[in-house]
Amino acid sequence: MYGGGTIFESHDEKNIVNEDPVKLAQFEERINRGEKIEPSDWMPALYKKQLIRMIEQHAHSEIIGALPEGTWITRAPGFRRKLALIAKVQDEVGHAQLLYSAAETLGKTREEMIDDLLSGKSKYSNIFNYPAFTWADSCFISWLVDAGAIVNQLANSRGSYGPYCRALERICAEESFHLKYGHHCVIYMATGTQKQHDMMQEAVNRWWKPLMHFFGPPDKISVHTEVLMKWKVKMASNDDMRNQFLDMYVPKILELGLTIPDPELRKDETTGRWVYGDPDWDEFYRVINGDGPCNKERLEVRKIAEERGRWVRESLKRAESKYVVPLA
Amino acid sequence: MNSLDPRINRLSEKGQITSEEKKKSLDQLETYEVFLQKREGQPFRHEGIVHAPDEELAWIFAKEQFSRRQTCTGLWIAKTENIMVSELTENEESVYDLYEEKYCGEGNKYAIFHMLKRGKQHVYAGTVLANDESSAISCAKAQFSDEQVFNIWVVKEENLLISSEEDKDMWLTVPEKTFREAYAYKASDKIKEYKKRNA
Repeated sequence: MYGGGTIFESHDEKNIVNEDPVKLAQFEERINRGEKIEPSDWMPALYKKQLIRMIEQHAHSEIIGALPEGTWITRAPGFRRKLALIAKVQDEVGHAQLLYSAAETLGKTREEMIDDLLSGKSKYSNIFNYPAFTWADSCFISWLVDAGAIVNQLANSRGSYGPYCRALERICAEESFHLKYGHHCVIYMATGTQKQHDMMQEAVNRWWKPLMHFFGPPDKISVHTEVLMKWKVKMASNDDMRNQFLDMYVPKILELGLTIPDPELRKDETTGRWVYGDPDWDEFYRVINGDGPCNKERLEVRKIAEERGRWVRESLKRAESKYVVPLA
Repeated sequence: MNSLDPRINRLSEKGQITSEEKKKSLDQLETYEVFLQKREGQPFRHEGIVHAPDEELAWIFAKEQFSRRQTCTGLWIAKTENIMVSELTENEESVYDLYEEKYCGEGNKYAIFHMLKRGKQHVYAGTVLANDESSAISCAKAQFSDEQVFNIWVVKEENLLISSEEDKDMWLTVPEKTFREAYAYKASDKIKEYKKRNA
C-alpha cells in the first residue's frame, strides 16, 4: 500500500456549474445517504475526472513504489526476509492491477494510463523518487511509508466510488502483514548492534522529510478540496492524515531509541495537533516536477520494461479481440 | 544510468530507450471478470478483472491475482464482453420488477449473478435454462426473485471457464505460507528487552 494523500494537479470547480442540477442533487443525496456510486450511475464530470486522477496516481505509486523495495530483494538479510520481501513486492504490483482496473471502470484505458505515466503527465507518490541506500531504508519504507499509506487508504475505503472502495478493501486485507513485517524489520535493526541501530537512525534521518511530504502540503496552502470532501472522493485533509499518522507512530519510533530529525516536532496538548518544522515544501514541488534524485531512473526502468515486453504483447494479440470497459 | 541497484545498471547497458510511441488499442489485451468461491458451500462472488490474451492465461493471472493470499475452493472466469448487464435500480425497486416472469425449462444454460446491495460485489444466484440473456432474466425471476436485486449479470454457461475438482490442488499450500501473515511478526519481547537494557 503506497498511495499518499495528495492528488497532484489542480482542478477547476467551475465545471460543476454546467451540470444538470436535478441529477447533481440526486447524486449528492445518494452520497449523503452513504450509498456507493457504481460505474453505470450518472456522475458529474469533475467527480469522474478527479477519481480517475486519484486512482490512477495510486496505481502508479504501487508500481513505482515496488522499485526502491525491490532493489533490496537480492540483498535481503536471510531467507525469511527475502521470502517476505518478495511476497510484499508482489502484493504491491497486484495492488496496482486492482487500482488500474478500478480506474478503467471510469472510462480511461490501461493503455492511456501507462502512456501518461511514461510521458510524465501522470504523477505518483513523491517519496519513491528517493533512493534506498541501505537495508535500513528498505525497512523504513516497509514500516513507515506503508503505515502512512494505510492511514490514507483506510480513510479512502469509506469513500463513495464502489469499485475503488472494493479495491481498497482487498488491498487493506492483504496489507495486514506488510506493516507488521516492516515493524519487525525496524525493531530488529534498532534493538540490534550499535552499527545496526546507527544504520536505522540514518535511514530515519534520510526519509523523515519525504515522509512528511507524503501526506501533501498543509491545508492552508493546499488546493481547495471542499467539493471533493463533499463527494467523498477525498475523505480527510492532508493535515488530518499527517496528524493521525504522527499520533500513531511517533511513540512507536521513540520507544526504539530512535530520534526524529525535527527539533520543532511536538504535540500541542491543548489543540491535540502535532506541530512540526517546515519539511522544505520547495523541495517537495521540485521533486514532483521531475528534479528528484531518482525520478529519471524510476521512469527509465518502466520504459525499459515496456520496450522489452512489447514483442510478447504483440505476439499474444488476436485480431478478433475487442476492448470492453470492465464491469466493476 | 547510475543506480544503487546493480540489476538496473545491467538493464540499461543496452542504451537508453527513446521510443515515445503511444500505446495502440488492446496493447494491454482484453479483460476477463473473475469470480471466486472462498469456502465450500459459499456462493461464487465477483472479485475483479484481469487483462489477458485468452482464457487460459486469464485463468492463471486470476489465480495469481485473486487467490494467492487467501485460500479458496473455486475460480470462474468470463470474458467481459460475454456478460450481459441489466439496468441498475435503486431505492425499493428490484431489477426483476422490470421483467415479465417466465417459467422455462429448455434452451441453453445461463448463469445469473445478483448485486444484492449497492457497493457490494455480484454473487452467483444459480443457473437457468433459456433461449437468450434477456429471457434468462425472466426465467431467473421465477426462480430467484425472493430478494431485492439491484443489478443482474447474465453469462451463458459455455462462456464461463469453471474450475474442476482437481484444480483445488492449487490452493492446498496457501495456508502454509505463514510468512505472509501478520501473526508471524511478533517482536514485542525484543522491545521489552531493549527497554530493560537501556533503562
